[in-house]
Amino acid sequence: MAYEPKIVAFLCNWCSYAGADLAGTSRICYPPNVRAIRVMCSGRVDPAFVITAFETGADGILVTGCHPGDCHYVSGNLKAEKRMENVKKLLGLLGLRPERLRLEWISTSEGEKFAEVVADFTEQLRKMEPNPLRAEVNPRAPENTKDVISKAVKKTNVQYCLECGKCSSSCPISKLNDAYSPRRTVEKTLLGFENRVLSGTDLWTCLTCFTCTERCPSDVKFPEFVRACRRLASKEIMEELCAHRGIPMALSRIMMNPKIRQERMGWLPNGAEISSKNDLLYFVGCLPYFDVAFEDFNLNLLKIPQSVVKVLNKVGIKPAMLRNEKCCGHDLLWTGDVENFEKLAKMNVADFKKTGATRIVTACPECYRTLQKDYAERLGNFDFEVLHFSELLSELVDKGQIEFEGKLQRKVVYQDPCRLGRHMGVYEPPRKVIASIPGVQMVEMGRNRENAVCCGVNAWLSCNKYSKEVQIDRLMEAKATGADLLVTACPKCQIHWKCVTSEKLPVNPEEVTMEMRDLSVLVAEAMHLT
Amino acid sequence: METSKSVLVIGGGIAGMQASLDLASRGLKVYLVEKTPSIGGRMSQLDKTFPTMDCSICILAPKMIECFRHPNLTILTYSEFQEVSGSAGNFMVKILKKPRFVNEEKCTGCGVCAQHCPVEVPNEFDMGIGVRKAIYVPFPQAVPLKYTVDEEHCLKCGLCQKICQAQAVDLNQKPEVVHLNVGAIVVATGFELFDVQRRSEYGYGKYKNVLISLEFERLLSASGPTGGHLLRLSDGRIPKRIAFIQCVGSRSLKGGVSFCSNACCMYATKEAILIREHEPECEVYIFYNELKVFGKGFQDFITGAQTHWGVKYIRALPGEVVEDSKTGDLTLWYEDTIENVTKSIKVDIVMLCPALVPRATNKEVSVILGLELDEHGFFKPKDFLFAPVDTNVPGVFICGYCQGPKDISESVVQASAAAARAAEVIALSAGKEVH
Amino acid sequence: MEHAEEEVPRIGVFICHCGVNIGGVVNVPEVVKYAMTLPNVVYAEDNLYTCSSEGLSKIKESIGKHNLNRVIVASCTPRTHEPLFRATCEEAGVNKYLFEMANIREHCSWAHMHEPDKATEKAKDIVRMAVAKARLLKPQDEPEIEVTPSALVIGGGISGMMSAICLADQGFKVYLVEKEPELGGMLRHLHKLFPTMLNASEGLNKIVEGVKQNKNIEVWPSTVVKQVKGFIGNFDVSVQRENRETANFQVGTIIVATGADIFEPVGMYGYKKYDNVITQFKLEQLLKDNQLKKPERVVMIQCVGAREEKGRTYCSRICCMEALKNALLVRELHPETDVYILFRDLQTYGREYEEWRRMAQDKGVKFIKYNLEKPPEVVAGHDGKLTIDVYHALLSEQVQIESDLVVLSTPLVQREDAKELSQTLKVPLGPDGFFFEAHVKLRPIDFATDGIYVCGTAHSPKDTAESVSQALGVASRASIPMAVKRLRTEAITAMVDESLCSGCGTCVKICPYGAIEKDEKGVARVTAVVCKGCGICGASCPEKAITMRHFTDEQVVAQAFAALGRAVA
Repeated sequence: MAYEPKIVAFLCNWCSYAGADLAGTSRICYPPNVRAIRVMCSGRVDPAFVITAFETGADGILVTGCHPGDCHYVSGNLKAEKRMENVKKLLGLLGLRPERLRLEWISTSEGEKFAEVVADFTEQLRKMEPNPLRAEVNPRAPENTKDVISKAVKKTNVQYCLECGKCSSSCPISKLNDAYSPRRTVEKTLLGFENRVLSGTDLWTCLTCFTCTERCPSDVKFPEFVRACRRLASKEIMEELCAHRGIPMALSRIMMNPKIRQERMGWLPNGAEISSKNDLLYFVGCLPYFDVAFEDFNLNLLKIPQSVVKVLNKVGIKPAMLRNEKCCGHDLLWTGDVENFEKLAKMNVADFKKTGATRIVTACPECYRTLQKDYAERLGNFDFEVLHFSELLSELVDKGQIEFEGKLQRKVVYQDPCRLGRHMGVYEPPRKVIASIPGVQMVEMGRNRENAVCCGVNAWLSCNKYSKEVQIDRLMEAKATGADLLVTACPKCQIHWKCVTSEKLPVNPEEVTMEMRDLSVLVAEAMHLT
Repeated sequence: METSKSVLVIGGGIAGMQASLDLASRGLKVYLVEKTPSIGGRMSQLDKTFPTMDCSICILAPKMIECFRHPNLTILTYSEFQEVSGSAGNFMVKILKKPRFVNEEKCTGCGVCAQHCPVEVPNEFDMGIGVRKAIYVPFPQAVPLKYTVDEEHCLKCGLCQKICQAQAVDLNQKPEVVHLNVGAIVVATGFELFDVQRRSEYGYGKYKNVLISLEFERLLSASGPTGGHLLRLSDGRIPKRIAFIQCVGSRSLKGGVSFCSNACCMYATKEAILIREHEPECEVYIFYNELKVFGKGFQDFITGAQTHWGVKYIRALPGEVVEDSKTGDLTLWYEDTIENVTKSIKVDIVMLCPALVPRATNKEVSVILGLELDEHGFFKPKDFLFAPVDTNVPGVFICGYCQGPKDISESVVQASAAAARAAEVIALSAGKEVH
Repeated sequence: MEHAEEEVPRIGVFICHCGVNIGGVVNVPEVVKYAMTLPNVVYAEDNLYTCSSEGLSKIKESIGKHNLNRVIVASCTPRTHEPLFRATCEEAGVNKYLFEMANIREHCSWAHMHEPDKATEKAKDIVRMAVAKARLLKPQDEPEIEVTPSALVIGGGISGMMSAICLADQGFKVYLVEKEPELGGMLRHLHKLFPTMLNASEGLNKIVEGVKQNKNIEVWPSTVVKQVKGFIGNFDVSVQRENRETANFQVGTIIVATGADIFEPVGMYGYKKYDNVITQFKLEQLLKDNQLKKPERVVMIQCVGAREEKGRTYCSRICCMEALKNALLVRELHPETDVYILFRDLQTYGREYEEWRRMAQDKGVKFIKYNLEKPPEVVAGHDGKLTIDVYHALLSEQVQIESDLVVLSTPLVQREDAKELSQTLKVPLGPDGFFFEAHVKLRPIDFATDGIYVCGTAHSPKDTAESVSQALGVASRASIPMAVKRLRTEAITAMVDESLCSGCGTCVKICPYGAIEKDEKGVARVTAVVCKGCGICGASCPEKAITMRHFTDEQVVAQAFAALGRAVA
């Protein structure tokens, strides 16, 4: 293993940087593999820096700060500690050894310690494989803008726009933000002002929730048009507007690397039965990663896949599962990274085929839409029947195979996720399932089914004050129905709502705080499987 | 075989009536078949007509009475066209007279039976807003003014039979088949309304104060369910702000029909003017996309509405209507495309202008007659340019809305055109005979 | 012919509630009571809807029961139901001219909605006035006339020809008079007809052949109508051919199908200033003759000289479709050419016209909406091109377009010679200049003058299919009097008291219809069938020798007295 590990180190200005200086001043030598980046405080080290560095090929990352209690900024170092623990978990899921990330406290006077740490880390890394990731972060091939836009205009019916404004007045964001108007975006495009469209923020503001599409008399599929244009638009603006600094997309890309062997099955409950080959494949999605990334929310997201497997097992199905399941690529596709999406898709399909499955079930509407619709459209050759878990449950309920135990005395209100509802037309199966649970009373929000309101964020983009307003408004609507449990069939909805309710709210928390549950978890509970 | 010098007209609306009167006036015998209990059609449901603001039933009633009294015209109401054979010059048609359970010869139209009938059902003529009895006339100026028993809702209690002074009620009446020999046939089946519940974002059927235009006409009509008083149906309050939404279901590539219904911009303006007349304090907004002002006098009518009557036109099709369930008040969201701002407005009543679509029953008629329908369900003219009222079947003509979207004036013109062609065909057919 | 009956008037008054239209404002029962106090009123009742079959039956019943010989209905305007009530009286044996209407709706309840007391008082006055006249009414006879079974069609365009063929096929003789040397009208100059895209000449030629071959049609090309005398069933028409030959026809009906002209927008948008600003019509010609040099960018401007604030306020209906059609044709011929359409409201009203908008959108035609307040400007640009500056009303920003061909869509306007024709026929032109029909809704192709009809663009702007519909429509309307061969005319005509007539000739000069002549004795004589009953002669006669039947001086003055509350003998 004669390779020289590349280490990127983040040194805090007040302690660690000085400590490293001291090593030099004192002529204490250490291996030359480290490249230092000065930051004011270790608390400045964004997990995105770490992930990006890994994606770019760093073999190891060293984060150093002041000893606890000595932080020049009081407790920045403690925040760094917590964050880096979190990142380590992500690395673990990716199958990258968490030891590649190291956090050390080094004070001004600890020149020797610095040298020792570097030497030790370098040696440790030498014994490991080099970081399999050596990708350049996505230079995109230049494209004929006019051509791409012209094709997109025709495909999505944009040219039939009647300029009526129904889209803007249906759009949850446009209603709050006058600067944003889907109609004006279309008009500018049709008049040949594409540059203004591509260089502005309009393209990234669209929630792609399809409310406008649902109501447009000319059948303009505006979100799909936006998606096609995102491919050509400024990546810099996208990154600026992307919440969580593009980490989810980075994770998706990392998963693509053939040398990556994820370790993502830790959530499997004891006694769960799965197979490597079965007619039915259960596609989990990125839940294990979200569980780590949002562990502060205490959403217990891993209960979702656990519930799915338990229910499937109970009705006698041992679903096939992919140990190295890759992200479906939804966020890549919707942020315009078509190349990587297609690569990812092809890899996934190859893996699907190996399981011999003819049906794929998923509990995530984004995965559901992506597999059922976008894979089929873009790859051409896609011979799988894709179901959302609610559809499968509905089938099972019809066949009488679901046995509920006792009564669940809850008053439930159901949120139609955009990708399940308006995108794919699945409104009734989740309702049928909920209504079949004994004791459950279902109420509806005024704006339901095709008129349901998006949870306010899509592909982590443009999460801003408007999103918050949309979310609070929707939660208040849910609360006002008198329900005591808000059920949704999409983990993203839960994450975004939990996010807004964890913040300082401009309203009385009583008006928006609701107990939330994923449909799969509710069913498993009602079957006494959890 | 000798050419029959008579014509069958299917449909007793303004187009059917005009064609019938033209033909009867020039000496041909006309059979006017109408499936409801009275002729009059849509025009009888309207309050006023644009752009002259004539009282609709006032200008229609003389024509209805003329049809009734004309020696050459036989009206067959509550009847359906069932079968046809033969060809131009000699069609044999079969008409089914549905039993109204009232003897038309004896009934005087006095109305005592209805006063005593115990069954109340929503009145179709009033668009379900008002009620009628199971024995009824659809509206006071009905022609013929004969009562009809609605078999579906009749309890067969026999009260009407007992109380009728003229002994006109006959609960054992049977359907009657009428065979006719006619030289030509004119089809004038009119239109029905697009089901606006399909545009669920507007809440029709859910929200009490969202109405469709024809319901509104009945509210404004002196003979309507509120006696012409402009009131909210939810709480009887006088509205202070009313919004019209145009193009609901029209000009749509999905969730509707692709064509423009021609009359809605104008009739919404008309209704807006009537509102301003009835209630000068009430604000009226018309939310439109393109103002269709192509007809004679249309532009001036709308300009008058804006400048003289203060009707406000906003170029925006609203995205959604939301109800405050406590008050019944409605909030409408729209993007004002001229001012470039998205906002909401609170209104008391929302009026939807639905697409006017060809009747679903045109299919049956087309099958019986062998006519071609286009993709929307309109009867296809033989040549759109030079034979607009002819069809693929010689001797069968079409006119009015069932031929394509149009307003009353154009329907009247086309009805005369169909009459001319029918007369021409009969003349030519008679001329060709060799005795 | 007058009946010399002197009977005591027995007046019946029927007061209508008209639902709540009248009854909601006027206290109808009070008016009924009042009516009974008026001289010669022997019966009065109120009805919910007098015009309904129920109401009409009650009138007939009451006439019989109470021996009425004069009937008054107090309800809506006589313009709506007078014929109906008159016919009802006749059925009950009362001469229709012994019927009078009192307008207590349009003139009373509707105009004084917020003052019910005053409205009721006014209603009583109106009824009193009607009674005052009714007492003096005399029965009248309506002379019957024969109808010549031939028609004059003025205008040999598509409308004139289609109506001629339809009438001729029904067995009527048709004189088809056309100003130009050849038949065809506007269609001769058109290229393709929307929406079927048939070549105009192809469609036209078939019809022209049809006209020429029809034995019942006599075609008079290069001919104009000089004078028209007479009345329905008996028109005496003088025509002049090529400024030399004159002829006379006797016809029963006249159809006006004179078409329209295209507005030339001189002084607008650089028309006549720049060579490359043309009208949509000119573009049509260029496309037809294959003379269009490949333009780089065409900008079409709609509503040029139409939908104005004053003057031509109307929409010309067909220009939007013309523009769409020509835009598509240009794109077909020259796929690299850009086309812009600057519009205000796109009039795509027909069954498939919205499809045309989509076709244009499919082909990349760009649509920019502008408002009346901020119209586009056309100025000279570089290299002989033009710069069009337009305020995009929906983006709220100025857009500049460089173009080498600007096409102006202008409206159809009434022809210059229409004024003369309208006077010759004594039919009116409307405020928009086009011929004015009897009733916009229910009699759109009849003139108020009996026996004369109008169709095609002479009536208002329209396309080929609509012109054909109207042409067939007038064929039906005109065939009615000609088929029944006899007509009854109005009895409201002038009559001369020869003993008072001084032979001054004032009435002869003043009659707009030429209905009065001096006879051998030098005394005025009225030809009743020509007389339209306007009464101008009556007001002009210095000796009060002429008066109008049914509107005698006495009757009119009696109403005035009644209005003012002056007691009547």
